[in-house]
Amino acid sequence: MNEKYEQLVADYLAGSLDEEGKLRVEQLIANGEIELIEFKAIEQLHDELDVIVTPAPSPDMSTGFYAMLEKEKAASRPFSFSVAEKLKALFAELTMPRLAYACLLLIVGGFIGDQFGRNESKLEELSAEMQDMRQMMMVSMLEGASTTDRIRAVNISAELPVADEKAIQALLFTLNNDKSINVRVQTVEALSRWGDNEMVRQGMVNAITNQDSEVVIIALADAVVSLGLKNSAKELEELLKYKELDINVQQKLQTSIAALL
Amino acid sequence: MMKVKGGDLDKLGLLFERYNRPLFSFFYRLTSESSLSEDLVQSVFERMLKYRSTYSGNGAFTTWMFSIARNAHIDHYRKNKRYNDIEDFDEERIGEAPPEYAEMDERTRRKKLLELALNKLDPEKKEVVILSRYEGLKYTEIAEIQEVSESAVKVRMFRAMKELKDIVNTLSEEYSDE
Repeated sequence: MNEKYEQLVADYLAGSLDEEGKLRVEQLIANGEIELIEFKAIEQLHDELDVIVTPAPSPDMSTGFYAMLEKEKAASRPFSFSVAEKLKALFAELTMPRLAYACLLLIVGGFIGDQFGRNESKLEELSAEMQDMRQMMMVSMLEGASTTDRIRAVNISAELPVADEKAIQALLFTLNNDKSINVRVQTVEALSRWGDNEMVRQGMVNAITNQDSEVVIIALADAVVSLGLKNSAKELEELLKYKELDINVQQKLQTSIAALL
Repeated sequence: MMKVKGGDLDKLGLLFERYNRPLFSFFYRLTSESSLSEDLVQSVFERMLKYRSTYSGNGAFTTWMFSIARNAHIDHYRKNKRYNDIEDFDEERIGEAPPEYAEMDERTRRKKLLELALNKLDPEKKEVVILSRYEGLKYTEIAEIQEVSESAVKVRMFRAMKELKDIVNTLSEEYSDE
């Protein structure tokens, strides 16, 4: 068979021939220029190649990648030599939420100091106000565009002894919708601290089937087992049933389900 | 990728989430080794970061990515002096049927034969089959990756399929005689 016909058959196999091209192939087969039996055998073999499937990579591949990325990010941060450059970098990092947070802490700190001398009984009240402000700041930063800011916001929640409904809602929204896997994993850890709150418990269970990242799924599975959320077994089973997961993740979920039941 | 080039390295995470499976499959089909394939995927993303300034944004991202993947694979085997070491298929030296072949059902046997046959193709032809048939790349994109003309890729594809057919038939006959 000459090379032009070989190219034509290759195009046919790739499905890139228009009607005219297909007609040309048929004509060449009819004229005996392309051997029918060989053409059909090759076409069938091309279809059959679907049966060769590949396994899924292990979760280690993802872990290795994100470790490499973090290292690269740390290495690519500019190193400032002079005080002026350092100050410039510091001001460059002062986004509005961070600046507002710093000002609030300064004002509240000053106010507490002032009140402490006059009236110790107001201390608890002020402390509660400060916590409210932290919560407000956390919610605001969670909506920010920068991944680093959102991770910091999640970490601020660790400083809060108790969380109100709005803060929990914001964290649950982040768990279900944030595009960054790192942020979602951190959010699972943050929410786990308030594992005795019913809204958190239910929210974490509901979030299981929303996850597309196997790293987050594993973090959630660990969290629901350590919190003893037995009603999450059903959600984990649904994931196993309907989602295409790596074999190691499947085994992890099966172990988690067994631990919950 | 343009955002990664511009310094937003977090965006590489999105590219990883989207392309780690196709890349892993590409390497697995070339090497049949899971652990090595995972290492090569990692190497591709390291190279993307290292050479991000060379990404022009012209053409499909997948073409650039698979060019890097192909080079990573070639470099690995050059280090191990095995690239292009695959001997031409020799009917006289087929060897014994794989273990458990006799106990396999018809479908599993066929799958095994196809896998063996694919592994007996020379690297260029095997790449064309994998990139076209499994990764869904166009011949023009494969031509860019292999740095040959589009017609050369088409000829390679046709000849690879013809060779596959012949190898499958030979293996099937030989193993059924054992």
